[in-house]
Amino acid sequence: MEPDNKQNANPTIINPSDLPSRRRASAVKRHGDGAAGLFDGLVPPYAYFNDPFDRSSRESSLDEDDVVEEIDEQEIYDLISTISDPEHPLSLGSLAVVNLPDIHIKPPASPRSSISTVVVEITPTITHCSLATVIGLGVRVRLEQALPPRFRVDVRIKEGTHSTGDAVNKQLGDKERVAAALENGTLVGVLRKMLSTCG
Amino acid sequence: MSDVELYLSDADRNKKEASATAARSAQRLESKEISLLELIESLREYVNSDDAQRRARTLSYLAEVLGALRPGVLSGQQRHLLFDFIISRIANDSEGVGASAKALVALEALGKWDPEKPAAIITTLLHYTHPLRQFKSQHERYSVLILIDLLMAKYRTAVHGIHTAVPDFLPQFISYFDGEKDPRNLMVAFSILKVPMTEWEIGSSAQELFDAVFNYFPITFRPPADDPYGITAQQLKDRLRECISSTPDFAPYAFPALLDKLDSTSMNVKRDVLTTLVDCIANYGVRTVNLYAVTLWDALKFEVLNVQEEDLAEGALSVMAEIGKQVTQAPGPLASYLKPITKECNEHFEDAPTKQSQAAGRILRAVAAVSPKSVNFVLDAAIPTILALYQSADSIAKRRGLLEGLVQLLHADTEVFGEWYTTTSRPLLVNGYNAPNRGEAGSNALVKYCERIYQILGSGLQTSPTNEVSFRLTALDGLLQLSKVRQLLADGTISSIIKLFTDIAVHEESAGNDEMKERAINALLEVAHQKPQLVVNTAFPIFMAALPDTDADGSEQYGPVLEAFAKLGGDGQVFKTVVLRLKNKLNSAVQQQASPQYLGAILSAILYAFANSAQELEDRGDFVPYYQDVLRPLLEQMTSTGSAHSTSFDDERILDLIGRLCNIILRHQKTEDQAEIAVEMYGFLHRPSPQQAAPYNQGVPDRDKRLMIVSVHLVAALQRDVPLPTDPRSLLTALVDFSMIDSLSPGVRAATLRKLTLVLNKFIPTSELKPVVEPILFSPRELLATSNLSLLSIRTLFSIIRALVLRNSSLLSTVFPALLDTLADHTYGPVVARGFSTLLQPDDFVTKENHCNISSLHKQKAFNMLVPALTTSFRDATPDTKPSYLVALSGLLRWLPYPVIESEVRSLAPLLLQSLDLTLPEDPNLAADVKAATIATLIDVLGQNPRAIEDHAGSLIARLLGVTTAAPAKRPNAPGTTRGGAGDPKVRGLGLRCLALVPERLRTETVVPYRREVVKKLTGALDDRKRTVRAEAVRCRAKWMNVDEPDADEDE
Amino acid sequence: MPSTTEGPLPLTLRPLATFAPPSSTRTWFSAPHPSVPLLATASSDKTVRVYSLATFALHSTVSGGHKRSVRACAWKPASSGETVIATGSFDASAGVWRRWEDGAAARKVREAEVDLTASGGDEDEDDWRFAVLLDGHESEIKSVAWSASGNLLATCSRDKTVWVWEELEDDNFETVAVLQDHDADVKCVAWHPQEDLLASASYDETIRLYREEIDDWTCVAVLAGHAATVWSIDFEGVEPRVHGKVVKAENEAEGSREKTWAEEWERAGPRLVSSSDDLTVRVWKRRPKEGGSVQPRGASVPSIIKSTNIEEEWMEEAQLPQRHDRAIYAAAWSESTGRVVSAGSDGKIVVYEERWRATGEPTNGPNGDKVEDAFSRCSQASATVWVVVAEVECAHDVYEINHVCWSRRWDKKRRREDEEMVISTGDDGEVKAWVLDGST
Repeated sequence: MEPDNKQNANPTIINPSDLPSRRRASAVKRHGDGAAGLFDGLVPPYAYFNDPFDRSSRESSLDEDDVVEEIDEQEIYDLISTISDPEHPLSLGSLAVVNLPDIHIKPPASPRSSISTVVVEITPTITHCSLATVIGLGVRVRLEQALPPRFRVDVRIKEGTHSTGDAVNKQLGDKERVAAALENGTLVGVLRKMLSTCG
Repeated sequence: MSDVELYLSDADRNKKEASATAARSAQRLESKEISLLELIESLREYVNSDDAQRRARTLSYLAEVLGALRPGVLSGQQRHLLFDFIISRIANDSEGVGASAKALVALEALGKWDPEKPAAIITTLLHYTHPLRQFKSQHERYSVLILIDLLMAKYRTAVHGIHTAVPDFLPQFISYFDGEKDPRNLMVAFSILKVPMTEWEIGSSAQELFDAVFNYFPITFRPPADDPYGITAQQLKDRLRECISSTPDFAPYAFPALLDKLDSTSMNVKRDVLTTLVDCIANYGVRTVNLYAVTLWDALKFEVLNVQEEDLAEGALSVMAEIGKQVTQAPGPLASYLKPITKECNEHFEDAPTKQSQAAGRILRAVAAVSPKSVNFVLDAAIPTILALYQSADSIAKRRGLLEGLVQLLHADTEVFGEWYTTTSRPLLVNGYNAPNRGEAGSNALVKYCERIYQILGSGLQTSPTNEVSFRLTALDGLLQLSKVRQLLADGTISSIIKLFTDIAVHEESAGNDEMKERAINALLEVAHQKPQLVVNTAFPIFMAALPDTDADGSEQYGPVLEAFAKLGGDGQVFKTVVLRLKNKLNSAVQQQASPQYLGAILSAILYAFANSAQELEDRGDFVPYYQDVLRPLLEQMTSTGSAHSTSFDDERILDLIGRLCNIILRHQKTEDQAEIAVEMYGFLHRPSPQQAAPYNQGVPDRDKRLMIVSVHLVAALQRDVPLPTDPRSLLTALVDFSMIDSLSPGVRAATLRKLTLVLNKFIPTSELKPVVEPILFSPRELLATSNLSLLSIRTLFSIIRALVLRNSSLLSTVFPALLDTLADHTYGPVVARGFSTLLQPDDFVTKENHCNISSLHKQKAFNMLVPALTTSFRDATPDTKPSYLVALSGLLRWLPYPVIESEVRSLAPLLLQSLDLTLPEDPNLAADVKAATIATLIDVLGQNPRAIEDHAGSLIARLLGVTTAAPAKRPNAPGTTRGGAGDPKVRGLGLRCLALVPERLRTETVVPYRREVVKKLTGALDDRKRTVRAEAVRCRAKWMNVDEPDADEDE
Repeated sequence: MPSTTEGPLPLTLRPLATFAPPSSTRTWFSAPHPSVPLLATASSDKTVRVYSLATFALHSTVSGGHKRSVRACAWKPASSGETVIATGSFDASAGVWRRWEDGAAARKVREAEVDLTASGGDEDEDDWRFAVLLDGHESEIKSVAWSASGNLLATCSRDKTVWVWEELEDDNFETVAVLQDHDADVKCVAWHPQEDLLASASYDETIRLYREEIDDWTCVAVLAGHAATVWSIDFEGVEPRVHGKVVKAENEAEGSREKTWAEEWERAGPRLVSSSDDLTVRVWKRRPKEGGSVQPRGASVPSIIKSTNIEEEWMEEAQLPQRHDRAIYAAAWSESTGRVVSAGSDGKIVVYEERWRATGEPTNGPNGDKVEDAFSRCSQASATVWVVVAEVECAHDVYEINHVCWSRRWDKKRRREDEEMVISTGDDGEVKAWVLDGST
């Protein structure tokens, strides 16, 4: 593609090192408890006190399994920030189309319900980006495919970042339209390409 | 009948026979049986036959005869005669021109020609057979081409003569080859045409000549599968490229044509264009290149500014660099080329950070890094702008973008002016070529700016908030580059850079995923390569200061510091100092009664430093001194009695680390050195004497028993011919008894068992295996008898068998069956089953590095002897013992590479699938291990040989779903799953990875029927309580959703 | 947000059965047959699954006609001897399918002219025969509906149009109208239970009504009020019921507000209920023509009074108590009890009932949220009030509910001849039957 027929040939790119990641938090912790991660390899896990005959001796991954890791905003972010933009070979994360602070998880509305809602506000690279709908659709589809069904997914254009934001929101909110879109071969092709970069 | 008659009659039926006839005629000529005249005479009637093919054949006959002749048989006069005969043939009758050409080639081989003959040939060919493409058979054309090629090779001046004599010869000559399509012929045609291109005054014909070859650009031909001549597209491309780049006269046609093709949508065409451009520029020379430099730049920049394919960008950059190499030879051209580039790049820097500003940096680096002149020009043109923009920049992101550009320039500068540390073994390279003239540091324009740059980067690094990771990474990178440039910075400045890095490595609060610390340490390492002493003087004190003598205060901050310091050991020049400083730290820590954790950390650091440099040290044979310097004092402290003794040395983990240190220091040494050191170490480890110490004496105090943990590492390190303190056989039996004492601590027992394995594997000669082992396993000891099994004896049993397995002992044929029988035992069968996982388990004691007997075939052997037996006994086993067989099987499979199990896969498949259903209420962990191992194997099978499992697709998918959708996160309305039932997160993750392979590896028609069910069921795993498992589930589900249904959208 | 102040509700929705086997993909819509115990469910697996309402088991499958999801289906009323169903699909086409009623086959075959159009020939008599393919819409069809008489079929689509087809003779359909009044997707079409009055609901947030005026269909009313996409519309039965009991003017005491209400109703005719993305369910009623000229029942308008005043005026009568917190995909009006049921994205099923309003009791609507002013404004108007009588959450586990409707109960365990049940259709591919327990 020639630069001119792109809508935004020259977007600002966030450097990967500055994108929010879960490891940030944990890395710090790791050193907190003094475990010298670098040296872990020196004494191979299977070497000393891991005796196949002695059940008590091995750390039980089942116990730790009882700890439930809830789905949180960062996890949502990780699911969608790797989607690639339909016109740049770049990820929505690095283009700041999706941003961690614009992702919210609403708990079930009543104690008897188990339905949570994920709200994602996306920020198009430019206010008249006609691809906003496709991007939004990509995000919604990705989340509907990757999140358990107990989540409702609401994808919206961030307030004031797009000329026809409301119209786009209404479309993205229309279940029937989304369903039909997913039966449209060409569109599905585009979406698959966008999602192909999600590990 | 005459030879020629015979030849003709055989010609189409039996080629060989025909050739034989021709050969015979040749002999006849030699033996004067017939005269040349008679031979020619015999041809007459056939050369004049009205059957064209007959005429052609006749000439092939002649050609073959001549081909078979020895030189010197024909007189010059005879050859002259023949020559005229053939030439006249060509003139009168183009039929069989190929054969005629062959004949001429053969004739030439019989004696050199005078200049007229080549000229005659060329003129005749051009006059009577132009254009060559009129001959339909590419073989015929080939012969002609070969003839011309021969003339070009041997009679160049003669041919050139025609060119100078006859005005319109060259156009004729060029068009003669028009429309050639056959690859083999093209190869020849190209090399023929290359001669005029490179050697003749082509003047007005330049364009025709160029077109003649460029018509074939780009080469798209794909060689036919059964191509007898095996001409590859690459060969054609290369030869074509040689032609196009052969002469500057082509420039006016080549550059526009190539740039035009650069707009092609095919990536491959673009690649061809770029490589061709590089050659052209390299060959056309500075004067020509100068004319097109800017045009080229204008066209090429897009490939870099909007990268389509990374390799295309690289290609474009190397073209730019190549132009740079040319123009740098003259000041005028250099300026007129670099001005527009630097101008545009500077503009891009203005809106940094963008793809374009990144590209600008790359471009400048490429065009700069070709010579001192170029780099200086670029630096002077770009750096002031960058610095100005940097000052006025409003965002830190922008500053980062600018620094990235700056760093690129620093790289270029280093590439030209070199680093401090450039040994003769690493000659200074510029873009992969030896630098034409390495810049003298004095002439380095960077000198002017380095002070400013240093300040900007330095303060940027110190003052920016720690969460501005990418910015600080760039600044750090810049400082590193700066400090590397040969003879640029004063040691003082470099020291303060080192200090900056060290402070980050040591003191900085970890931010993000620790990239900063990581890079800071690596940067220190790199500087250490350049300026070891400076690093030792500046960095080490800071590290030491950061390391307490004791951790009495319970602080654990030393962790990262030790890591960083140990890493520095990776540089050969500072290694020794690192080790000694750590050793001193260890001493004072011991004095101060520091906790085992701290000692452990320091020991680990030392161990890491050694492990890291082991190779280097070994190459330099540098290990020897470290016994005296490091080990000896350590062993003394460890074994010292009385007040000096630190209780930390009673900690088994500490002892293990010390042992490992002994091992790594000793293991690489020569037998005699080892023997010497060993004796002394025995002294430390076996008090008062080997015979009175463990294992012989089971009554020694625990403190001495624990020394087993160190000594096992010693035994591991020894070469096989180093004598043990006592007789191996007696030692072995002693170890067997010792290993079965109830009261042993797990650590000591494990050490004892390993020692047992080591001794048996290394120090008992094959000849003595039987007499030594049988009495233990069979009568009188009968460890293998089901009746004698006990939790302790089973361990001992396996450490013995393990030693045998690794050296592939013949005893196994009696041992294995006995072992398999024990699996049927209700009490101990399950325990034995677990043991199987130890047989092939990797282990850092019994290894080649530790001089063990390890047969390269032992896994294969063990597999062949055990697995088929296991599968059969599984079938007949009672339901309650079946699990034992599955456990044993997975214990083996866990460590087997796929090729080993390949042969048995089909028979294994059912067992594997049943293993996925295995439940062991009393030991869920084991069940999890079994499943994990099984799934790992299934993953191999799917990867290597999916057909083997295709028939089981249904049950495979069902079981994997069962394994993986076990543990939904607890939700208000969803009942939480019962403990254990959830299975192991590791297993669920693996299961999903395996399930994801199914649609990828099995045929679509096989998996499509399951698609919907899987996609639906997997929503369960999407809600797994573990994040990692969910991630796998997402990946897996995506794979399955992309399985296309047969009637997926044909419309649109 | 739903109001959760009420105490325990008078009725409970009890799951009665899940139709088996469920579809492995999303199901969109279910239609109970007007006279025989069959339920047709439109599924995104490109088929319509026909279940037995007596056994809740799969009876047959309508497949092979559509290239994409079947979004909607409708049984043709009054077609004895064989069952006829219309389907609307995302592939932009509508289909008409025929099948001999069980046992009817034999009888049918004996008759002179056996109809074997389209599907052509001697296929298994238990099979669904793809009789006609109705082409014309440019994009996905979202809803299909037969007129009460069964000779008109309405379809609507994302292409913003509503088409009316007339069946001249068997399987020969003619397009009698292409109505392009909406500015966006038309989500739903519904016919008046007696008149040839067609209603359509749209993404453009309006509801429109159409009539034929000398073989020319025109829009006769626009119902504006919803603040978002209107997902569904459904007409009231032919007799009004308050608190479950039929209300007739002649039975009510002279001058009672009940009588006034009943008379007004009889002049206006059945009302319309609509559900929307704006989280409201609204009831609309027709303002009777001046001079009390009642719309003649049954037949379409006689030509004499086919005047300019074919326009009708409809107004919003009430907003049902707001209990949903996400889009409401369906609301349906029970003919036998006058109750309304609604369901949607939040997985809830809510049942409402109309009651006589005790004096002073606040009304609902037309501004459900601002009850007080509403009261003052239409205290005269509304003699009734809508209350929630039953509610169930997570009716389809965590999945969305795409459709609910009422059906007569057919299974052996039914408690009364005319007992009714609620049928819900979900994203999980399941169709569930619910019964109301507890007396009123």
